[in-house]
Amino acid sequence: MGINGKIVTKNAYRITKTRNKTALRIRVPGGYIKVKHFTLIQSIAEEYGDGTVHITTRQGFEIPHIDFDKIAQINKKIRPLIESLGLDIEVTDYGYPAAGTRNISACVGSRICPQANNDTTKIARKIERTIYPNDFHFKVAITGCPNDCIKAHMQDFGIICTTDPQYDANRCISCKACVKNCKKNVTGALEMNNFNVKRDAEKCIGCGECILKCPIGAWSRGETPYYRMVIMGRTGKKNPRIAMPFIKWSSEDVVVGVIKNTYAFVGRHIDRSLPKEHIGYIVDRVGYQVFKQEVMEGLKLNKKIQIAENIQWHGYYYKQDNQFKSI
Amino acid sequence: MGYKLSPLAFDYYLKALRNTYRIFAPVLQKGKGKFAGTDVISYGEINSLDDIMLDRKSYFSPKEVLYPIRETLFYFLNDETKAPAINVKPILILVRPCDLNGIGKLDRVFLNNGQEVDFYYARRRELIKFAMIECVEGFDTCFCVSMDSNVANNYDMAVRFDEDNITVKVVDKSLITKDLTHADTAIFEPAFIQENKVKVTIPEVDLVTKKTFDHELWEEYTSRCIACGRCNTSCITCSCYTMQDIKLSDDKKIGERRRVWAGCHIDGFTNMAGGHNFRKKNGEKMRFKTMHKINDFYKRFNEHMCVGCGRCDDVCPEYISFSKCINKLNAIVREETLHE
Amino acid sequence: MNNPYLPDAYKILDIKKETQIDYTFKIAYEGALVGGQFMEISIPGVGEAPISICNYDDSSLEMTIRKVGNLTDQIFNLEKGDTLYMRGPYGNGFNLDHYRGKDVVFIAGGTGLAPIRKTIDHFVNNPDEVKNLEVLIGFKSPKDRLFIDDIDRWSEKNCVTVTVDQGDDSWTGKTGLITTHIDKLDLTNISEKIAVVVGPPIMMKFMLFELIKKGFKEKNIWVSFERKMSCGIGKCGHCKIDETYVCLEGPVFNYTTAKALID
Ligand SMILES: Cc1cc2nc3c(=O)[nH]c(=O)nc-3n(C[C@H](O)[C@H](O)[C@H](O)COP(=O)(O)OP(=O)(O)OC[C@H]3O[C@@H](n4cnc5c(N)ncnc54)[C@H](O)[C@@H]3O)c2cc1C
Ligand code: SF4
Ligand code: SF4
Ligand code: SF4
Ligand code: SF4
Ligand code: SF4
Ligand code: FES
Repeated sequence: MGINGKIVTKNAYRITKTRNKTALRIRVPGGYIKVKHFTLIQSIAEEYGDGTVHITTRQGFEIPHIDFDKIAQINKKIRPLIESLGLDIEVTDYGYPAAGTRNISACVGSRICPQANNDTTKIARKIERTIYPNDFHFKVAITGCPNDCIKAHMQDFGIICTTDPQYDANRCISCKACVKNCKKNVTGALEMNNFNVKRDAEKCIGCGECILKCPIGAWSRGETPYYRMVIMGRTGKKNPRIAMPFIKWSSEDVVVGVIKNTYAFVGRHIDRSLPKEHIGYIVDRVGYQVFKQEVMEGLKLNKKIQIAENIQWHGYYYKQDNQFKSI
Repeated sequence: MGYKLSPLAFDYYLKALRNTYRIFAPVLQKGKGKFAGTDVISYGEINSLDDIMLDRKSYFSPKEVLYPIRETLFYFLNDETKAPAINVKPILILVRPCDLNGIGKLDRVFLNNGQEVDFYYARRRELIKFAMIECVEGFDTCFCVSMDSNVANNYDMAVRFDEDNITVKVVDKSLITKDLTHADTAIFEPAFIQENKVKVTIPEVDLVTKKTFDHELWEEYTSRCIACGRCNTSCITCSCYTMQDIKLSDDKKIGERRRVWAGCHIDGFTNMAGGHNFRKKNGEKMRFKTMHKINDFYKRFNEHMCVGCGRCDDVCPEYISFSKCINKLNAIVREETLHE
Repeated sequence: MNNPYLPDAYKILDIKKETQIDYTFKIAYEGALVGGQFMEISIPGVGEAPISICNYDDSSLEMTIRKVGNLTDQIFNLEKGDTLYMRGPYGNGFNLDHYRGKDVVFIAGGTGLAPIRKTIDHFVNNPDEVKNLEVLIGFKSPKDRLFIDDIDRWSEKNCVTVTVDQGDDSWTGKTGLITTHIDKLDLTNISEKIAVVVGPPIMMKFMLFELIKKGFKEKNIWVSFERKMSCGIGKCGHCKIDETYVCLEGPVFNYTTAKALID
């Protein structure tokens, strides 16, 4: 059987270890899906696959054990799934138009989680609309608060929802619940001064814990939600590393704009001689300053925003694993 | 005397009243709930009917209107002390019957307990008139009927909010404006809720003994209560406070003394210099609050403190239900007396 | 309307060092007082605290203050001639009628001596008013002793026992916890004997337990309670135990009442 691997891959099918069998990857932006689609997923798995489905690390579904020659039939059937993404593109009978940019994952967010500072699902879907069907291999995830349950710090772009806590001294009963908690569990940004709470804006990460802890509503959420973006975290066989803070106190428009601009940045700088070059390695190669300048191009920055002057990524190289000895 | 007003006419009436009164009512504080994207209802000054939030119970009680969370008692200026002036414009406050009764409990403490009248409470209290919101349905956690606080009669005005009209009964004649005299008259007596979903039985005051205090019930609350104090801050009848002194200049002679709400569930309430604390365990705090609400206040004033507004149930992050606690306590007390 | 929260400024007439951390402040004051009552004393911008009146005459009162925190630290920086703010007096104090004509023992642990000092003094000066007077005082160590001159004076004619938990090289007096010295009291008339007990919570607990065990009648025991207090006038709620407000009905209680109070 002759198969054009590039074409099927772009169509969201993958090459599997079983010859002549493929697997379909279903996008579920933000890990949020109406259950009515389950019947469709079920019927495809039962009719074309082996009746199983894998829930992927990025919150999508992967239906394995499909014959390559069934792709066209399946593509017609999954139309409602693609339509449910609410994209601005025309949906066809030819299946997913791209697979490169990975499913945008998100923690459950403020629809359910009390810690969350924002509706991560909504943001995931918005970003999906903005970037899909681009085809570069970016990993984007959104987490509702700095607990980072979705592990935004392992992504190319990790978006952490934050809030700018507002203090009303007239309501404060000086119980210190916020102060003690911030000291113990966060960054110690709060301090009691003359029975009032003083917040060190430099230390505050906008997690919103103080708001949750206050028994009298002396702390409340600011009107505008803010975002922290951490970038270029990765796993992989070469240099795994945690994403580092790129912008703090950013507006939604700026974080979305940055991701959008990154496609052009990659388009300009990617080393096309390689089968694929990941964004993190491109940034390593061309330098953070070039990246920063190009992705910030044309963005209208909100007043509160702070952008990292420099970023030093850590992580380690597998090849430098020299602290081991055989017993 | 009763009057029936359209929403528009009622707004005109409120407008007229606002010449004389600052009007407070439950209002929706948009986005001010503790969780993202949530609102909170608390008492605030209103301008019109639209500002009044009636569909849900207010999270915080109206007590902050007459007993501010923080209040400056006085300033020290050299060797003089000076209490700050307050806005003396009279206040009209829209309250449900439970809260109106609850304010009566605050009165007991601030006006009737001991020899002294609380100057600060009294001077605000004098400015206040009550417009009682007719409440016949209540909310899920209310148990006002069991606490005998579903009915209140000491209002200056009663208001029934219907879909397309508002009926008012005016007791205090000074609240009658020409907006009312021009309106349709109506015969209106406020009705009161007769049955709540939640019912409690208060253990008979004298049957609560040392044995009840020592019961293992309280241990359960030691493991559950996190001493956050929300049940105190949201309660209409909790009246406790702590003094704070603030230096206003390095010269020792200028300073401010204020008081701020305190709560017996919050750590430090009984701390003495040297670190001694009389109720370390959170179960002991729960017991202390419970007894105050449904036992010892009665011994002092012949009426229970708790009015069954149910706010402590609504706000507890640990889902501790005070009404359940009362009923458990009652079962224990009955058991104890049976076995005697 | 009277504002009970406003304190007045009073002049400090004298300061006497009792120990490193306990000073007695003599303050110009005219007005009716009862030993065991307390004042709310304050320094502007620093804080306010309840302090027992340990002595008074027509024109002054005395308070012995232990340096333990914010306000008390600042008070120790004051000098003779400075002003101190006060409001009060609050609380019931010791009603002398409860002890008149009786066989009485005053038992104090540490700073607990301050609130009963005036009452002891009264009966020392008026020995005819009581049938028998004894005093039992315990301090942590010799250097923690308060009112040394008063104690010497009381000892001239009365049975006064002073013990320290831990002696030092120069200490020739009694040692051992205060509860171990109950046996040395005159217990012949124990069912009629009155005991007044004041001290830190832990000392009170063991002392009361011992007294009852020895045969003291509950109704013959009086105690003075210390609780956190903010207002002194029955509003702030800090001092409440059951239906009782320590600032209003106390701090002096008969043991029959006190034992029923559960925090
Ligand atoms: C009726 C009555 C009579 C009294 N009579 C006297 C008297 O005659 N003489 C006298 O010296 N005192 C007396 N006291 C005690 C006195 O009121 C306190 O020592 C005083 O309030 C301390 O105030 P401060 O501002 O110096 O201490 P603060 O700075 O207010 O420190 C005390 C507070 O700090 C906290 N605290 C302090 N130390 C610790 C610790 N080690 N661990 C944890 N928390 C701590 C507690 O919350 C405590 O309430 C009396 C108290 C009462 C109620
Ligand atoms: S938002 Fe988080 S980091 Fe900032 S002050 Fe509040 S608890 Fe501390
Ligand atoms: S938790 Fe709220 S009331 Fe307590 S100190 Fe913080 S701001 Fe003040
Ligand atoms: S104890 Fe609970 S139910 Fe009772 S008055 Fe207070 S908040 Fe309302
Ligand atoms: S329950 Fe606690 S906080 Fe409320 S009034 Fe009673 S003692 Fe004060
Ligand atoms: S609200 Fe609940 S957890 Fe908080 S102090 Fe009250 S009972 Fe305890
Ligand atoms: S000290 Fe405030 S009520 Fe007793």
